[in-house]
Amino acid sequence: MRFSIYRYNSETDREPRMQDYVLEEIEPGMMLLNALIKLKAEDETLTFRRSCQEGICGSDGMNINGRNGLACITPLKDLDEPVTLRPLPGLPVIRDLVVDLSQFYRQYRAVKPWLTVHDPEPEVEFLQSPAQRDRLDGLYECILCACCSTSCPSFWWNPDKFLGPAALLQSYRFLADSRDQATDERLADLEGPYKLFRCHTIMNCVQVCPKGLNPTQAIGRIKKLMVKRSV
Amino acid sequence: MNMQMTGLRAWLVQRVAAVYVGLFSLYLLIHFTTDAPGSYSEWRDWVGHPGIAVSWALFFIALLLHAWVGMRDVLLDYVHNTAVRLVALLGLALFLLAQGLWALTVLLGAGT
Repeated sequence: MRFSIYRYNSETDREPRMQDYVLEEIEPGMMLLNALIKLKAEDETLTFRRSCQEGICGSDGMNINGRNGLACITPLKDLDEPVTLRPLPGLPVIRDLVVDLSQFYRQYRAVKPWLTVHDPEPEVEFLQSPAQRDRLDGLYECILCACCSTSCPSFWWNPDKFLGPAALLQSYRFLADSRDQATDERLADLEGPYKLFRCHTIMNCVQVCPKGLNPTQAIGRIKKLMVKRSV
Repeated sequence: MNMQMTGLRAWLVQRVAAVYVGLFSLYLLIHFTTDAPGSYSEWRDWVGHPGIAVSWALFFIALLLHAWVGMRDVLLDYVHNTAVRLVALLGLALFLLAQGLWALTVLLGAGT
């Protein structure tokens, strides 16, 4: 199987280049990450992030044949040759397929992704009805792999001002949480032309999310809450 | 309340304007297929009718507001140099304002 992989070392290279690789031993059911690990055994300079190998940690997000995804849960048999691998678009490349996610995490932190409670904390635990808990489904599963935000043109053009789909999904995760009491502050924080409203609903985020989540819907629901709050 | 049209307000204005433009366009389509004016004087009478004239005026206001928010969005996305953006926004505002004044003169002319 033929591969064409983006190579760049930010410390030594002036320009990135595409390097061709061939992998002979393809086993049935093999995932792209397995192929990358085998290629790395042949060429140890090839650099990429990986950890759990089962789509939970979100480390191996990359651009696979033009589409963001996780290498560990992308079957090789679904890919056209040569398999073209590039780092996630729009972020500074540290080396090969490894990008600097600082900006992405800054936007995540900006939505205060934790429960804020103004009342005295309960003595035992926060109680939630099953229905209230269900409202978090489709939101809490995000693994912060950055596939969505780095496929979003609005995030490419304004990564420092637009929060991006991943952070906005998390913002809604806490807005939707029955235990959180900072709804007003959270919504006020998202006002302005950039943080939320650079989203033009093109839904690239929904298309690439390896966990099948829907940031666009979450953003729509935030807008609905904002409208409710303002009237 | 701040009067700046950014964020939620701009987004809402764009949505509401789109609904009005859409509904009025539908009305125009139906009107011109079922009851089209047969002559220039009939056309002028129709446009000169206060209800129709006001609907047209609202249509142009909605259209221009919608265009303003949409074009401003494009400029915010792509034009990052402050001076260039300012000039572009100013040019856009003048252009849309001129269009609005033109529409207004046409409507006032039809009413007399």
